[in-house]
Amino acid sequence: MNRFVVLTLNGLTQGAIYAAMALALVMIWRATQVINFAQGAMAMFTTYLALFAIDHGAPFWLGFTVALLSGFVLGGIVERVIVRPVESAPPLNVVILTLGLLLFLEALAPMAFGGQIRSFPPAFSIVGLRFGNAQIAFSPFDAFTLGGVLAVMILLLVLFQRTNLGLRMRASAFSPEVSRLLGIRVGRMLTLGWALASLVGALAGVLIAPSLLLYPTFMDQVLVFGFTGAVLGGLDSAAGAVVGGLLMGFALNYVGGYLGSDLETVGALVILIAVLMVRPRGLFSSQRLRQV
Amino acid sequence: MLEVIDLTVAYGPVVALHGISLTVADSSITAVLGANGAGKTTLVRTISGLVRPRGGSVRLDGRDISRLAPEEIARLGVAHVPQGQGVLAELTVDENLRLGGLWRRDRKGQRGALAEAYELFPPLATRRHLAAFTLSGGERQMLSVGRALVARPRVLLLDEPSLGLARRALIQIMARIKALVAERGLTVLLIEQNARSALSVADEGIVLHLGKVVAQGRAQQLANEEGLRHAYLGY
Repeated sequence: MNRFVVLTLNGLTQGAIYAAMALALVMIWRATQVINFAQGAMAMFTTYLALFAIDHGAPFWLGFTVALLSGFVLGGIVERVIVRPVESAPPLNVVILTLGLLLFLEALAPMAFGGQIRSFPPAFSIVGLRFGNAQIAFSPFDAFTLGGVLAVMILLLVLFQRTNLGLRMRASAFSPEVSRLLGIRVGRMLTLGWALASLVGALAGVLIAPSLLLYPTFMDQVLVFGFTGAVLGGLDSAAGAVVGGLLMGFALNYVGGYLGSDLETVGALVILIAVLMVRPRGLFSSQRLRQV
Repeated sequence: MLEVIDLTVAYGPVVALHGISLTVADSSITAVLGANGAGKTTLVRTISGLVRPRGGSVRLDGRDISRLAPEEIARLGVAHVPQGQGVLAELTVDENLRLGGLWRRDRKGQRGALAEAYELFPPLATRRHLAAFTLSGGERQMLSVGRALVARPRVLLLDEPSLGLARRALIQIMARIKALVAERGLTVLLIEQNARSALSVADEGIVLHLGKVVAQGRAQQLANEEGLRHAYLGY
């Protein structure tokens, strides 16, 4: 099959996962102006929990649910226990705390689950679909990955744009003080925001684990690419995060496919620098609008 | 009834309010007057819980609310229209208004309250689905006041509602508020720079100067005291 098509399809699937990670980072950034550097490690940990359930006889779907639910709970706990106490401290404090959490989780995982590299069973075949005699580089699991990310994004969009709860969450992110004057329990909204973001991160982890293999630092590069995508998109725009994540998926695959796979990471950085030189606020940032 | 008893507020070493006491009776409007830096905004921010007092208390119907979080005070029916930047600029006009009364969890009542707000401020109705940052200063002020009324509050704290508002719109807002005071027993604390217009709508008045109460009484009386007007009210 045409190489370009193969690279594009791979880019789409991987990009969906980077988009999920980027979205998780952007949701937390918008809610609390924190870059959660532990997002990848948290997703790693929840993916291990899913594998732990599957190892003990749970079907894939139960493991999948375990990953998402534990992501939700872990995100809420992290906000309450780690982020909340330093809410009014200088922003650097919380950055250092998320880095500390990253190291802690990556040290805890081998102790809890063993340090060896594990494979993660996919729910569907990872062999490319066949159309007649032609096999394409798009497997049922890729379709599941795309569909899963898309479904979660649509649900989040509905939550934020169409429900009163989502309205409260957006208000809390834009102006905690005004929101509190309107009787909104802002603290709960921020906890919920972290919990939901961390669920989206956990989704990225459990979806990419079958193709990356599972080990304590396996999400680090996903975090870096997701973060790059989020910055490309402008960091405060959910749509930007999704587009930025997808762009990263495509770009990394084209660079890896045409220029050599050892250039992938460098290529990503070159793209980031190039875009930020032309548009320092990122592609989708509404900063200028909001300053009016 | 809203009572402020011996309230002292300080920002670090700077004391903003020195043992202020005042009582706002139900179904009445009390104007808080004074120059910039007199402590007017600090007073309302302390009542609504945004600022923690160093000493004294704030009582709502006898209950001490001075240690409650702002969101819990709001849920007791105290609506605070903050000075200037009170609207959520990124949200639409409609979303801003709806947020006012979400804590009531009374969908039917809220629909009515929303309709009333649009009726009171027609410019908002035509911009219902636009982001609030597209509004003019006066329209934002209408939105801020309308949103507070959507909560159907018992106590309304208005911090300089005249800011950016055309005179006609201000008169209209104050007429509506006076009607709510008479019909629903609303209690209003009105902060104003413009003493003359504030005293013309208020029942009672209190004048602050550098964090202390320098005069207190019936609005009509305060308006007639020439010495006071020259010294503190600037007209």
